[in-house]
Amino acid sequence: MLWIALHCPALSLDWIERRFPAALAPAMAVTVRRGNQVYIRQANKPARKRGVTAHQPLASALALLPDLVVVEHDPNEEMKALHEAAYAALHFTPNIVLQCSGLIAEVSASLKLFGGLKKLCQLLNRAVSAQGLQLCVGVAPTAKGAWLLARSAPSRTVINGTGAKFRSLLDSLPVSLLESAQPHLEVIGGIGCRTLADLQRLPRDGIARRFGPDLLIEMDRAYGDSPDPQRWFETPESFEQKMRLMALVESVELLLVPAQRMIDQMCGWLTSRHAEVSTFSFILHHEYSLRQPCQSTSISVRLSEQSCDPGHLKILLRERLGRTKLVAPVCELALIADEITAGANANMELFPTAQSEATSLNRFIEKLSSRLGPQAVTSLRIIPDHRPECSQRFEAPGTGEMSGVKNASRRETPWKTIPRELTRPAWLIETPLELKLQRQQQVQPVYGTPLKLIAGPERIEAGWWDDAPIARDYFIAENGLGQLLWIYREHNPTAKNHRWYLQGLFG
Amino acid sequence: MLACFEKPLLPDIASTLTGNDEIFAMPMPVSLPSVSSGPLSLSQIEARFKGKLWRGNALEFSTDPVVRSGFDELDNELPGGGWPTRNLTELLLPVEGLGEISLLSRPLEQITRKEGNILLVAPPYIPYIHAWEGLNIDSRRIVIVRVHKPGERLWVLEQGIRSAAFGAVICWLPEASQQMTRKLQIIARSAAGLAFLFRPARAQFEPSAAPLRILLGSARRHTFANTLSLCLLKRRGAPTALPIYIELPQIGSFSSPVASRPTLAYC
Repeated sequence: MLWIALHCPALSLDWIERRFPAALAPAMAVTVRRGNQVYIRQANKPARKRGVTAHQPLASALALLPDLVVVEHDPNEEMKALHEAAYAALHFTPNIVLQCSGLIAEVSASLKLFGGLKKLCQLLNRAVSAQGLQLCVGVAPTAKGAWLLARSAPSRTVINGTGAKFRSLLDSLPVSLLESAQPHLEVIGGIGCRTLADLQRLPRDGIARRFGPDLLIEMDRAYGDSPDPQRWFETPESFEQKMRLMALVESVELLLVPAQRMIDQMCGWLTSRHAEVSTFSFILHHEYSLRQPCQSTSISVRLSEQSCDPGHLKILLRERLGRTKLVAPVCELALIADEITAGANANMELFPTAQSEATSLNRFIEKLSSRLGPQAVTSLRIIPDHRPECSQRFEAPGTGEMSGVKNASRRETPWKTIPRELTRPAWLIETPLELKLQRQQQVQPVYGTPLKLIAGPERIEAGWWDDAPIARDYFIAENGLGQLLWIYREHNPTAKNHRWYLQGLFG
Repeated sequence: MLACFEKPLLPDIASTLTGNDEIFAMPMPVSLPSVSSGPLSLSQIEARFKGKLWRGNALEFSTDPVVRSGFDELDNELPGGGWPTRNLTELLLPVEGLGEISLLSRPLEQITRKEGNILLVAPPYIPYIHAWEGLNIDSRRIVIVRVHKPGERLWVLEQGIRSAAFGAVICWLPEASQQMTRKLQIIARSAAGLAFLFRPARAQFEPSAAPLRILLGSARRHTFANTLSLCLLKRRGAPTALPIYIELPQIGSFSSPVASRPTLAYC
């Protein structure tokens, strides 16, 4: 077994600071009540700069800094923040144990996938700190040991307790880290025990008699001498996360960070359930007011191919958010995984294959349509018709035959395309352009310069069966710029003057 | 990230996991000539610095794979013998309709045959898919993006070149600054496919970071053969002054030549 413990020393502040848009957090302090006196438990950086420190009475802190935002210690909210961090950590291992101020992850099965302990530890760290928590990390072969090491680590450091040095590392830890030693710290200090090694040297029956059996059990579990059963963190059946913002947000950019955190949580949850999401909604709740009847804006993102890749989902959501106009300030966010499907983890591929190309095409299309709108990305579908206007249709790529790999062999459909003997231009003009006429010796159509007919006519007469019949004589013409043009005139034997239209260019 | 920290309590055993290893770059070993007895002959220099030395009169030997253009006259003049992948290629086009798609038809056909996709960014007109099929290009593998704003066009182009899905990206770019082309060229270096930019002919006087720039022109000169002139403005290697003429597949074979040609006076 190999455990990575993540301890959040400033959790009581982090849970609320992470709800402020970045760099907008005011000077804040968390208070705790002891008797009838309220003390500062923890103060954040702007408050510490002004002299507010832990264990200060609230009155003296307010005297120093009247603008101090005071928050009461709230274990429920802290636990919620830890839950969210655990979701993000689920991306790396399914085995996570929640502690009161951090979490412990069992990672022995994940080492190879994530490229070794060092890499995994960095990734896990990054994922959980991206949730807005400050971390100290301990790595050890036992859960309790890792937790103690993490608690002893200074802020933002990692103590690696794997290998032979594990016991000596534990030996040097102070006794005050043990939970069951808390009521007896004075006595233990009084008999000259400062570290766990000192405690280990004392006779075991004496410790059990004086301090209760719990101390011995805790120590044995830390050293790995006795089994340590764990209660794993369990994920709910559905994913619905809410986050109240601490400020009214009026710009979409400030929503990106919390949105990305929530996507990370959702992806961790998906990974733990071996599922992939195909539709998710991101809901922006607005502040209630009488003038503003709209209470929430819902952004629903439907994926053409289910995914659990946080990077891809973040891009999609970011582009959709970028196109969204906020009708009112946002005070709460929610993310719901509407439709999930059981996913098969894709194999890692050394070389690009048809499958991975199809995936990247789908992603490309999704990325574009989430920014530019779905009508911007199209492919053309052949319709067997001789009329140029009716012979093709724009459609969303990937919907029709385009889905590529599966029916690539069905390409040979000669009856569908216009025979190759009939020359067709590479470019069509959306609506035929009426050409000006030049009347000198002859009447000549003009496009840039007077046109010279070089081939034709070819008559296209079709569409008597529907409402758009045409009867046209098509010619290929050339102008002085060297362009080859596809022009036509209406076939109308009775008319005296013919109008010429430009329909295509030979690219 | 976490910072390196040595814990004062446990100086020798606390080991930090995350360090800034990457900033300690090893100094590059400098390969100096071992014996410097007299000046080196030209052949010695070439042998020693093989692959690092470029002679001005030769076409550059490039390791980037190329895609044959299907026109021998053109392949002979292009560095590497074909359209370069992993690089931008600028095609400067005075007007549409000179035969620019026929020029590219061969590589596009090859790409779709190998089940690659083609991306058209902001084409000036609607592709007439029957004609593209006539050039053997699988129309189901063509993705068209219709964007109008210059900024978004560039964004789409960047995403397209970055994406692994496309064997060829073709973009019509009326205006592009040198910085943009440089950025695109850097992105194209990391991609595997072809990237063509169609730009107006006036862009020949603007600097560009694309390593291959070709000015297209019509050389039809009232003959029925469809001839395209290509002027290589810039390529890796020796410059060329003379344009290349290539014969495109003939167009207008129906009722050729115009026997029953209507006299225009009649209409």
